[in-house]
Amino acid sequence: MARVPVPPADLARLAAGAVVSAYGLGALAVARGPGERTTYAGASELAAALTTAAGLALVAAGMVASLARQGRRIGDLALLAGFLWFAPVWAGWNGGPALARSLGTLAAVFTLPVLLHLVVAFPSGVLRSKGARALVIAVYLGAALSALGRALFRDPFFDPACWDNCTDNVFLVHSIPDVARAIEDVDLWFVACAAAALAALCVWRLAAASGPARRTLGPVLAGGIALAGATIAHSVVLSRAAIEDPSDSEFLAVFVVGCAAVIVIAFGLPWALVQARIQRRSVARIAADLGEAPPPGSLESALADAIRDAELQIAYWLPGARRYVDGHGDPVDEPVAGPARAVTRLIRNGHEVAAITHTATVADLEREVGAAVRLALENERLQAEVLAQLQDLRVSRTRIVETGDAERRRLERDLHDGAQQRLLALSYEVRLARAGATADGDEELARMLDAAGDETAVALDELRDLAHGIYPAILTEAGLAPALQALADDAPLPVELDELAPERRPPAVETTAYVTVAEAIEDAARRGAAFLSVRVHGADGRLSITAQDEGRPRSHDLPHLADRVGALGGTLELGDTSLRAEIPCE
Amino acid sequence: MRVVVADDVMLTREGIVRLLKDAGIDVVAEADDAELLLREVRLKRPDAAIVDIRMPPTHTDEGLVATHRIRTEHPEVGVLVLSQYVEPSYALRLLEEHPERVGYLLKQRVFDVAVLVDALRRIDDGETVVDPTIVARLFGRQRRQDPLAELTEREREVLGLVAEGLSNRAIAGRLFVTERTVEAHVKQVLLKLGLDLNPDSHRRVLAVLAYLRGERSI
Repeated sequence: MARVPVPPADLARLAAGAVVSAYGLGALAVARGPGERTTYAGASELAAALTTAAGLALVAAGMVASLARQGRRIGDLALLAGFLWFAPVWAGWNGGPALARSLGTLAAVFTLPVLLHLVVAFPSGVLRSKGARALVIAVYLGAALSALGRALFRDPFFDPACWDNCTDNVFLVHSIPDVARAIEDVDLWFVACAAAALAALCVWRLAAASGPARRTLGPVLAGGIALAGATIAHSVVLSRAAIEDPSDSEFLAVFVVGCAAVIVIAFGLPWALVQARIQRRSVARIAADLGEAPPPGSLESALADAIRDAELQIAYWLPGARRYVDGHGDPVDEPVAGPARAVTRLIRNGHEVAAITHTATVADLEREVGAAVRLALENERLQAEVLAQLQDLRVSRTRIVETGDAERRRLERDLHDGAQQRLLALSYEVRLARAGATADGDEELARMLDAAGDETAVALDELRDLAHGIYPAILTEAGLAPALQALADDAPLPVELDELAPERRPPAVETTAYVTVAEAIEDAARRGAAFLSVRVHGADGRLSITAQDEGRPRSHDLPHLADRVGALGGTLELGDTSLRAEIPCE
Repeated sequence: MRVVVADDVMLTREGIVRLLKDAGIDVVAEADDAELLLREVRLKRPDAAIVDIRMPPTHTDEGLVATHRIRTEHPEVGVLVLSQYVEPSYALRLLEEHPERVGYLLKQRVFDVAVLVDALRRIDDGETVVDPTIVARLFGRQRRQDPLAELTEREREVLGLVAEGLSNRAIAGRLFVTERTVEAHVKQVLLKLGLDLNPDSHRRVLAVLAYLRGERSI
């Protein structure tokens, strides 16, 4: 392991953390001493412990987070929140320096906005959506206006609701108690509304997140919801009381919930980082775990497991076919990013290797996919390309067979509707002429017309056989069972057909089954068989045809039939005196 | 006799109509599809209908479907189905649905006016008509143990005529023997083939055809 030098910025953060911790412990000393009646921490030991724990937890989380590259912005926010968290204690320092108390009073106004910013911007530290950005800006603006108004016009000495700092405001320009009162009232409900928006945002993000994302984001978002609840409850309780009293049970309960929420949020920051690290490790391990010849599509499930995102999809771009396919070579839609989904495209030499659709909580998947996984992805892309080509080939083989069948069928119809009808008409004319000749007593002509009529009948028979040989119309019109019966009627050897269900199947399947039985009959006859038993059976979306005889053993294959069955994705097995074809019906 | 003729090919239809008229048969209506045929049958109540098996719109088995409806809705109207296919399956289906007053003839045969008129008369008499080519095809079917081999020449002849739908009397006329002789032959044949059925029933044609096809279960 190489030693990683700690960059100066991190040293500054560590120093800031240490300073804030010291200042927080100082606040504790203040609360347990002169601030006994003017701070929550002074009101009870529980409140003191919670105040200190929440503040220091924020500081610690901030320091841990800022050690990780992706956590820096969030870490800074946590440090700042930890700093502001102790402000109310300093404001309640009875007998303390006026400047410190005045600043503490103003800084306390910003505690909630910074916490809200922290939760909303988590985990990237960046505000992605417009709504989130608007909420954060509004809350900062409201806090700034409120702080400014209080600083300029609120003389704590004339504030009847004052409780923590009732003596000092070094910024006071002109005391206007009514304005100060109004600002406090408006601020009370503005903060409640902001908290409600925060809660809604957290609930929405939790609902929209996939399983693994919910696991990562859960603690911080849940803490955000609890914090919002405590804030709203505080506004409600305060609006009913004349003065905020830390020893009052309602106020104390709200305060305890708020502290707990902050502790949960602080705990959630390193939790998310640890989750991300676990994820990165498992992504890096994928290539090794897959082994040398992973089955198609295994990379997708491995990656999905690694980042715990069951909906993860890998799409490979086939430049030749100009479409995306999955690991099996099956066509998929072009990957697009959605509200909670991100698309990471891995490019190599200017060509896209793979497009991965995954949960948006994994911000930088490309970095996490190491060289080994990249190589595995490239391998799978090649495999998918081959599979896709194979599939195209199969489809095209099926199409060739289907086109051939359709063409034969058309020919048969043309013969039937054209030449056969004309010959029929001709035979009718001949009959008519013959009747005339007989009436006229022209025996010679009658005989000639008889001969012509017989010839026409022979021509009709031959034409019918020809048409039937081109395509057996009964197959399309009545189905496989009657068509096979007809085959057995004409067979040169006894053929026993097992009962076949009358249900219809796709034309290509019926034709192939028919051709199979026809070939089996011909083959059995060639090998001198005295009897052929045929069984056609449909199950599980497949039609299986078995033929068994007792002729001489087969000495040659049936390549034409194998091609035909194979074209539909079926299989043909030949035994010495048996044959078995399986044709998928879809 | 009053007859309706249905065939979508005008040449054939007109030929048949002319032959029938020349033979003194009253053609009360013509139709070029199954719908029109059914309407005309309802309207004119003919003695028989001559129906092409292959008619619009799908040119598959419209004729058989129409036959089924005519025989169900108007049992007094006989139907002669014309086909260009030597397919026992179609003939069997026809007889399975309605064992009386139906016939299945190859189209090219109907221009022999004697055959056509004979078929119509037999259907009108309540018999069935099966084209000899169909029967010959079934007779020619290869069998593992051929019970037909045990029949005498005359018995085979009688069996063939039974399969064509002829009554004992008609068979007697064909073979220049007495009806009683034919009855005896038929009895003997059914015995040898192991067919347990009333030798005079209408169903004997279907039973014999099915037997020849190897479908013993009937």
